[in-house]
Amino acid sequence: MRSALAAAAALVLCASPAAAEPDLSGFWAPSFGDIEPDPAMMAKLPPNTVVIEDTFAPEYPRMVFGGLRLTPEALAHAEAWQPEDEMTLQKVCSPPSIVYSVQGPFPFEIDQTAGLIAFRYEYYDQIRLIFMDGRGHPPADAPHTKMGHSIGRWEGDELVVDTTHIASSTITNNGLDHSDAIHMVERYKLSPDGTKLLATQWFEDPAVIETTGARFIEWVRRPGEYILPYDCDPTFALEYQERDTAD
Amino acid sequence: MWEKVNLMRNPWLLAGLALACAAPAAHAHHSFAVYFDASKEVTIKGKVTAFRFTNPHGTIVLDVTDGQGRVREWRAETNAPVVLQRRGWTRSSVKPGEEIAITGWPSRDGKPYMRLSRAVHADGRLIGNAPFGRQDQS
Repeated sequence: MRSALAAAAALVLCASPAAAEPDLSGFWAPSFGDIEPDPAMMAKLPPNTVVIEDTFAPEYPRMVFGGLRLTPEALAHAEAWQPEDEMTLQKVCSPPSIVYSVQGPFPFEIDQTAGLIAFRYEYYDQIRLIFMDGRGHPPADAPHTKMGHSIGRWEGDELVVDTTHIASSTITNNGLDHSDAIHMVERYKLSPDGTKLLATQWFEDPAVIETTGARFIEWVRRPGEYILPYDCDPTFALEYQERDTAD
Repeated sequence: MWEKVNLMRNPWLLAGLALACAAPAAHAHHSFAVYFDASKEVTIKGKVTAFRFTNPHGTIVLDVTDGQGRVREWRAETNAPVVLQRRGWTRSSVKPGEEIAITGWPSRDGKPYMRLSRAVHADGRLIGNAPFGRQDQS
């Protein structure tokens, strides 16, 4: 019985993508510079979604949130937030959740099978599993993690990923933090020539934002490249402490 | 992976994870826009005293001497070394004791701290094979 289960698991893990589905496998690097959102993908965002434009390097300064309307509690939290509090030995290597890191300015690799898709991010060495076998999310009180629990399905040529159970973290890396009840839906598809990966990332978190939010993200394929170890060194925080003692 | 799939059947592991998840939100890759002023540019020249080449950011520490002979210690933060490596940087690209010049964006709080966009050796050679722009900060 055990060997049969192992064989079945191996089949799921090693199976090639079904021929009818796009193969997203490969190394994807941030597409820096001006990006034109794909109109068809943007049209699929729910009505009244606020699309924020902080993807990759252009982050927002303090108290700028790209049009997202914060709840009074979240606004007070953002006002009290002190960026230097993050630069400690305890926190400096704590990765942000997938809500922020999905658009971090680092490459990632996709390994795709019919039943399971793995996203391996260079950013903080994070690995994300997207279950494609039809399962649902676990109970609401199941553990929450920075990567969350992701289930996926194909809608034509688009991979649709629904993610819950994301541990609280940041949305915009400037004091706007999400709760562990945030819900995220992403859509991924290849450009017609297969050289780019296009995505929308939509999220809702009523405890924090009164609007729903979204980003458009684009990566470029770089054949032959691979992600490097991030291997975060928390002693970087000491550089900030040294800095603070300077005149 | 099997363990992850079956977490729900392991109450002790679940309890541990629940405790870990109860901690306040914490995240630490710091925002360029919060810390640095992209509307300004600063260039410093000095003698390297240390070069850190670890993620999340590298750091070059310089002793910078002003016109009156006073020495001030500066720190230049770099992109993540995973990014530096793709631009031709290595751990030995900068050596303690050498004179270099660094151009970049100053810290918003006025401290002797900056974000590196380009660095050159004393003879003017660029360190790495391309500078870093505001649009490709990491």
